[in-house]
Amino acid sequence: MYCIETSLLSKSYGDFVAVDGIDLKVEQGKIFGFLGPNGAGKTTTMKLLTTLIPPTGGQMNILGIDAISSPLEVRKKIGVVLQQPSYEPTLSVEKSLEKYGMMWNVEKKIRKDRVEELLSAFDLVDIRKKKNDDLSIGQRRRVQVAREFMHDMDLLFLDEPTAGLDPSARRGLLDFIKSKVKDGLTIFFTTHILEEAEYLCDDIAIINKGKIIAVDTPEELKNKFGREKTIKIHISEQKNISSLLSGIQDCKIEYDSGVIITVRSSQSEQVLQNILQILASNGITVEDLSVVPTSLEEIFLSVVKNSNA
Amino acid sequence: MHEIIRLVNRNLTISLNMGFVIWQIISPLIYIFVAGFAYTALIHQVPFGNKTLDYPAFIATGMIGFNIMNSTLISGIIIWNDRRHGMFEQILVGPFTRAQYILSNVYTVGIIGLVSAAMITAVGYPLFFKQVEFNILTVPLVIFASITGSILFGSIASIISTRLKSSEGFNVIINTVFLFFAFVSTAFYPAQGAPPILSTAFYFNPLTYLVDVVRAGIFGYFNGLVATEMIILGIGAAILFLIATKLLSKLEL
Ligand SMILES: Nc1ncnc2c1ncn2[C@@H]1O[C@H](COP(=O)(O)OP(=O)(O)OP(=O)(O)O)[C@@H](O)[C@H]1O
Ligand SMILES: [Mg+2]
Repeated sequence: MYCIETSLLSKSYGDFVAVDGIDLKVEQGKIFGFLGPNGAGKTTTMKLLTTLIPPTGGQMNILGIDAISSPLEVRKKIGVVLQQPSYEPTLSVEKSLEKYGMMWNVEKKIRKDRVEELLSAFDLVDIRKKKNDDLSIGQRRRVQVAREFMHDMDLLFLDEPTAGLDPSARRGLLDFIKSKVKDGLTIFFTTHILEEAEYLCDDIAIINKGKIIAVDTPEELKNKFGREKTIKIHISEQKNISSLLSGIQDCKIEYDSGVIITVRSSQSEQVLQNILQILASNGITVEDLSVVPTSLEEIFLSVVKNSNA
Repeated sequence: MHEIIRLVNRNLTISLNMGFVIWQIISPLIYIFVAGFAYTALIHQVPFGNKTLDYPAFIATGMIGFNIMNSTLISGIIIWNDRRHGMFEQILVGPFTRAQYILSNVYTVGIIGLVSAAMITAVGYPLFFKQVEFNILTVPLVIFASITGSILFGSIASIISTRLKSSEGFNVIINTVFLFFAFVSTAFYPAQGAPPILSTAFYFNPLTYLVDVVRAGIFGYFNGLVATEMIILGIGAAILFLIATKLLSKLEL
């Protein structure tokens, strides 16, 4: 059984289609990354899945419940950190965690323990007595994310939870999330930071203009879309390199200053072997060599660019 | 605990700050004692049903209604703040329905309204005890007035808070509307003796009905007019509540 399963899920605002017939399958106990450029439809999809807004078409099943006919049943079992900030301006940090637990009907004793646990996990101990109104943007975001862990849930939606967090707070949050997934939680996660997605996510979907344009594990995405690698070779002397290498196929070669050769190829292993052979048989020594691995970021950029074209 | 009780608990926690409580107690006290005694020189006696009241007794009972109305500002402020600070959406992705959210606001306002009414009754009692005529209708009438008044004015505040975008607009409009209600009503002065246009205008104002019902309860004077006022108050509260609910559930997220 899937935690999230949608078919042809759509949302239109007038003539504008914000989410255009998407099919999603998210397995239990996984972290599912949802990536896409600004305005792609990530937040709208999240609002649909969390039943905040009704879809204009399609089906969705969340945790085995038909989310269109029984939205409240779904909401009782999920946690949601929206992209938009939310806070109780007049309450202190600890009080707002406490009250949030109360709203979720968490037992008083458990509430008390969780407040302490979350204050320290999210590095909020020093500001526990401060009013939310007086916090910095990043501190407020930390409180908002921490607050969601006050209650039990089977599925957690996080819409750019790390936006505005400093690197150590960000890493702390990612590791906290990882530990919760070990305990069986499933997470649906959007971010613009691709290293984050790579570090955290088991599966990734890329959405653009309301349509899903790629879904896979980060590794498979790289294999599929990121076969092209960049090889830089620094050679000792300037010889008539371009004519020597002119016979090599399946690649693009640039000769920058004569001593640096930049090769782009999707058959990088084979191409590199051939080049090295030619260099060796002509007595040219290689001083430095680097292969730039494709990052998820490059894949993201190229996939989105292709889908826009 | 039931969802609505949890939401009421949260509403009370976020809205009961020192500033509000002081405002809620101090402002009617100023009216009762300062205005009450200052105007006694001008208005000696006020005819009310089959008896005549001292002005301080008249205004102290008027302040009970005034205070119920004032406390419903809370409902508008809660909705307004929840929208502005993202809590409206956050609550609605939680284990609650929009109807529960709305009802919790009504209950919050009802509780604050009842407590305020009790408080002002206690404070104003020395001023009107001589003319009080408690009977079996007293408590039901005052409670009826508190509850329908809370729902009615709470709905008005909610409607305003769902319609507006800027916070300056919200404060200006809500204060203007409530100021109009307060001074174009029988809370401060009787309809008799006011210019005819004004005394007619009094009866286009729900606060007049609210205050009349409270006075009917406290001074033990019940007649057909009061019964009609109660019916109008009840119907008005029901209609405005439906409108407020409709607007809030239509609110785009
Ligand atoms: N209420 C609305 N009315 C009309 N259009 C809307 C509404 N909400 C969102 N949209 C449009 O839908 C599209 C998708 O918006 P959405 O917020 O889902 O983007 P996103 O992928 O979350 O972007 P970001 O990375 O900037 O958060 C945008 O073009 C946006 O303008
Ligand atoms: Mg978004």
